[in-house]
Amino acid sequence: MIRLFLYECRRLLWNRFFLGLGLLLLFCGWQVLNRATIFGVARTAPFSPWSFGDYLSRMLPFLWIGVLLLLSAYVTPQARRTAVLTDAAPMPPWQYAAVRCAAVSAGAGLFLSCCLGEAALFYQLCFGWHDWETLLAPALITLPPPLIFALGAGWRLSRIHPWLTYVWMAAPAVWTIVPLPEPLGLLDGSLFTSLPLALAALDPAVLDPAFSLPGSAWLSQGLMVIAGAGFLLAGSIRSLFSA
Amino acid sequence: MNSNWLRLFLLEWKRLLHSRPAQLAILVSAASPLAGLFLWRSTSADTMLSRYLADPAIAAGTAGGIAFGLLTILELDRPSSSRAGLLTDSVVPPHTMALVRLPALLLAAALITGLTMLLWFPILRSLIGPVFPCTDYILAFLIFMGLALPLGILAAASAYQAAARTDLALAAFLAFAFLSLTVWADSWQLCWLNPCVWALSDDFTNFRIFRSVAYMRLTWLGALAGAWTLSCCCIRRYQKGCFASFALNVRRIRRPALALLLLLGAGAAYRLQPMVDHGNPDQTVMSFFELPFLDGIVCTGRTAKVVPDTSAGTVTGTAAYQFRRSAAAEPQELAGPDPQTGQQLPAAQHTQTPQPQTAAFGINPGYTVFSVQANGKDVPFSVSSYQEFNEAMLTAELPADPEIELTIEYGGFPQENRNLSTMQGNMEISAEYLCLEHGAMAPRLMNVLPDEGNYPADIQITLPSSMTLIPFGPETPERIARHDDGTSTWEYQYHGTGGICYAGDYIRQDIQAGGISIEFYYGRRHQAVMEAAGAPQAVKAAVDYCTSHYGSLSFGSGKALKLIQSRVLGGGYAADGASLLDEADFTAANLSDAGKGTVPGEVMIHELVHQWWGLANMFAPSDGTDPWSAEGLTVYTTYRIVQEQYGSAYAQEHYVRRWQQAVDDYYQDFYVRFPEYLEMLPPEKQTEITNRSSYVRQYCEMPLKIWKAEKLVGGEAAMDQILKQLFQRELDPAYPYLTYEDFLDACGLREEDLDLDSIISL
Repeated sequence: MIRLFLYECRRLLWNRFFLGLGLLLLFCGWQVLNRATIFGVARTAPFSPWSFGDYLSRMLPFLWIGVLLLLSAYVTPQARRTAVLTDAAPMPPWQYAAVRCAAVSAGAGLFLSCCLGEAALFYQLCFGWHDWETLLAPALITLPPPLIFALGAGWRLSRIHPWLTYVWMAAPAVWTIVPLPEPLGLLDGSLFTSLPLALAALDPAVLDPAFSLPGSAWLSQGLMVIAGAGFLLAGSIRSLFSA
Repeated sequence: MNSNWLRLFLLEWKRLLHSRPAQLAILVSAASPLAGLFLWRSTSADTMLSRYLADPAIAAGTAGGIAFGLLTILELDRPSSSRAGLLTDSVVPPHTMALVRLPALLLAAALITGLTMLLWFPILRSLIGPVFPCTDYILAFLIFMGLALPLGILAAASAYQAAARTDLALAAFLAFAFLSLTVWADSWQLCWLNPCVWALSDDFTNFRIFRSVAYMRLTWLGALAGAWTLSCCCIRRYQKGCFASFALNVRRIRRPALALLLLLGAGAAYRLQPMVDHGNPDQTVMSFFELPFLDGIVCTGRTAKVVPDTSAGTVTGTAAYQFRRSAAAEPQELAGPDPQTGQQLPAAQHTQTPQPQTAAFGINPGYTVFSVQANGKDVPFSVSSYQEFNEAMLTAELPADPEIELTIEYGGFPQENRNLSTMQGNMEISAEYLCLEHGAMAPRLMNVLPDEGNYPADIQITLPSSMTLIPFGPETPERIARHDDGTSTWEYQYHGTGGICYAGDYIRQDIQAGGISIEFYYGRRHQAVMEAAGAPQAVKAAVDYCTSHYGSLSFGSGKALKLIQSRVLGGGYAADGASLLDEADFTAANLSDAGKGTVPGEVMIHELVHQWWGLANMFAPSDGTDPWSAEGLTVYTTYRIVQEQYGSAYAQEHYVRRWQQAVDDYYQDFYVRFPEYLEMLPPEKQTEITNRSSYVRQYCEMPLKIWKAEKLVGGEAAMDQILKQLFQRELDPAYPYLTYEDFLDACGLREEDLDLDSIISL
């Protein structure tokens, strides 16, 4: 399994495509950090969990598309044609699907690391700031849930028709244009810009208000994880039965 | 080859029109103006053309650009995805196919632009109403929408040809589009998909903003055409990879050479753009105003002959300045005795001969100075690369003659202030409207003192005969000549080094208010809106309020206060004897929207109030970091007028609460609380943040302090009495400015009494 996973990782991640996507992501990230995050959001420091969360929300569309592009490598017509061979391999199809899913997740993790690492570098260079552990909570709550959901739903949609993966990539455009309800405010970053203002007035001596999110936001992010994982598991179970 | 190409092109074109993705892209593009009407506003002004022309056209360009970009990737991938790539490549060389597909897609884009224009013409015409201009409609759709589609096609085609993968091309194209829509949205040269158009004027022309967007789009067109040509070198051959194919393709040198040429051209066009100056972004720096005056020389007068080219949007002119050396600096005729020998010495050895000196002028950075002559002879001159407040410094050497006439010939395309680059359009020069301000009209003398005449100036401007010239001040222009080419020359006398004038198709209405005559000028197309909005009544109410509360203005006999409507500016200004009225003050949209946040005519009221606070009572020049300026009392008085006209609740909601909100934001801003972090930022970022705060300090913090003072001194009546005393106080000629200390003393308050951390509850 591990060997297979490593093989899939190498196939998926060790190529010019992945490198190109990574460079594109880094370029976009630097633009966001230099042109938006540097001013801080909602009266907070650029390196506050709120501004950092806003940065992650702005990067989410790029990551969303990046993850789905990784996924699309498995749903191309060429990949589907080779499914006849891989299905014939002495291995349960659900295991093979799980390995591929893990490889895509590893790719998403690398993209995520690029974003986080770039922000860390930016904060260090600009402000000499390096209390990175304070950014762990926004990093974990902002990006992984929607990316798991994007991956799971994308995986499911690709089973219906490969081109639906590409349609699914356009989802961030919807929340860029249409205002979202508060529980989904982590997707468009509106919670990061509104919540600090709603908290008690800032003490001039305190850098930023403590990071906290309403229960509805936790719930919506949790539902995204469950839905995304559910889609992935459903696909695997179907593969299990079809095997 | 040509007939073969044409045959292939026609085949591809017919095939494209029958393909479902192309039909979908066409449908999306044609329907996308709907998004501009209902979903996505890219402009911020409330003029009819902004809402019902710019917004739909920009939405169409954005959606169409993305749709055609995606279509391009699909079409380019079609042979590969259908596994017919090898076959088609063997029949038609891939480079030929690239040269066939691109024009086919571009033609489809042109077709859909035309169709969308036709489809939406009756709809938008009925929405816009009587101010609908056909020229603006065509230009808006061609530039805002039409040029976006080729950019989308070229960007997507370049990405696909370079990557030869649908997914990577898709990612690159979408990221490129997303950057334009997000982090590049405030950079007028970078936002290729959604141009920085903040407003279109209903009453006057919009050529300047059309030129700006067209320039940006054409720059990108050059860059992306270069990228596309370069990507053609990456078209895969003999099933080789990107680099091997590139090595094969670049053997035909014309392709990379053309790509390089296009990319360099686009880079040069980006760098040398003519629309916006390269002025110092730090608006607290005013080094041009701190130049020392030359010793022993005065300016006795000046003339300027200005000829705007209303079709090209340019200006040419000749300005002449008369200088006279004061007696002390002139060479003495009589020679003195040598202290050692007692013999008479030649004058040159005894007296201090005047040395050549350098006169400095502020001139619009877009202008070229063709020649500078002193007393008919060429003299050395230079124009600085450093620019400040939309001016470059022209320096010219003045000879040692006792009387000098310095003649400057200049001209060019005036540039706008870079700090307002997202709000371009102010420098409109057309046959319907123009505005020339200070260094854009004629070089502004900066370092020579006047004689007793205070820089008397004779200004002549030649304009199309249909235009009315309105100097921004008490001066009265006179039409002195009508020319056979349909132009007229106007002349007026002015006192000062700069000067502003407006010209256009204006209507004048005379109003009597507060004991003064007001000449109210507004665009002919705006007449119905002005009458429906009761603009003259609003003007009268504002002037009557200030006169009754503070005192009357004094103008010279026969002089009147001018109130001039400009095209949509997003603000205004006032000068001695004239105030500006922004077109957006009174719009048809405002009339039909009773819930609008600010009252109609707010900018007009503000600029009228400046006649009392700022002009009749002067304030020391502020660098923007000091909250005390003419704006504080002006904004406070505007609030009081609005309160009187629209009620206390309205004024509290739309003025005091907004000041409070802005001040809270400012005080709690991270960089204000922790300035040490501001110092860590690069200088340009520091400047950006400082510029943002100066507005809040002058326009929100100080009015709020005055409002707090009003509560502390006993209410509105007491504050009115204090302000009246300040307005009518005896001026000190040595320092005629109204200071914050004067205000505090009049109120009987200390500075700390007005600290806003203990703000009275709203």
